[in-house]
Amino acid sequence: MAQPRPTRGRGPGGVPRPRQPRPRGRGPGGVPRPRPARAPRRLRDRAVVAAASALVVAAAWWAVGLRPFSGAATAAVLAAGVAAMAWGARSLRPRPPPVDLRAAAGWLVVAAATAAWELVAFVQHPREDHPTLSSMTNALLDSRPARAAAFVAWLAAAAALARR
Amino acid sequence: MSGTVTVVGYVVIAVCAVAVEVAGRRGRGARLSQVLSRGLARPPVRLAVLAAWLWLGWHVFVRVDWR
Repeated sequence: MAQPRPTRGRGPGGVPRPRQPRPRGRGPGGVPRPRPARAPRRLRDRAVVAAASALVVAAAWWAVGLRPFSGAATAAVLAAGVAAMAWGARSLRPRPPPVDLRAAAGWLVVAAATAAWELVAFVQHPREDHPTLSSMTNALLDSRPARAAAFVAWLAAAAALARR
Repeated sequence: MSGTVTVVGYVVIAVCAVAVEVAGRRGRGARLSQVLSRGLARPPVRLAVLAAWLWLGWHVFVRVDWR
C-alpha cells in the first residue's frame, strides 16, 4: 500500500512544518532572484522630463516673443502661470511646524523696507534717477534669451509656491 | 536722491535679506521658506500670494514694451 504523499508545508502525519525565513531577494535554496529591470523605466522617466523641459523652454521662448500689452501675451502668461501652479499643487509638501511671529519679524521688516523704498522711488521722477524694481528688471531682461530664462524661473517659482 | 543712492538702498535691503536668511538657517529666526509655508497654509493668504505672483508675471512679461 502506497504511503500518502505529504501535502505542501506539512511533514509526515500532516504536522505543519515550521516555516523557514527566506532571505529577501532570494528564491528557494538561497538562489538569488533576478532583479526586475528598471533601466528602461528610468530611461523613459528621463526622456519624459527632458521632453517636458524642452516644451517649457519652447513655450517660454514663444510667450516672451508675443507683442507686449496684447491679449495673446496676457493669455499666454496667465495660462502658463496657472498651469505651473496646478502642476505644483498636485504634490503638496507636508505642513511644516508653525513659525513664531517673533522669529519671522526679520522678514516682515525686510518686506516693509522693500515696499517703502520701492514706493519712495516710484513717486519720484525722472525714472533714470529713481529706478524701481520694475524698471531695473526691464533693463536686465532686455534680450529675448534673458526674458525666456526669467519666464522659466517665474514658472518654476509658481509651481514651488503652489506646492507649499 | 540720485539713481546710485536708490540702487544702493536696494542692495542694502538685499544684503539684509541674505543676513536674515543666514540667521534663520543658524536657528536664530525663521527662514523665508518657513515664513512662506506658514502664510500659505491659510487659504486666503494662499490665494492672495498666488494671485500676486500671477500679477507679477503679467507685469514683467506683458506690460513692458521691449521693442
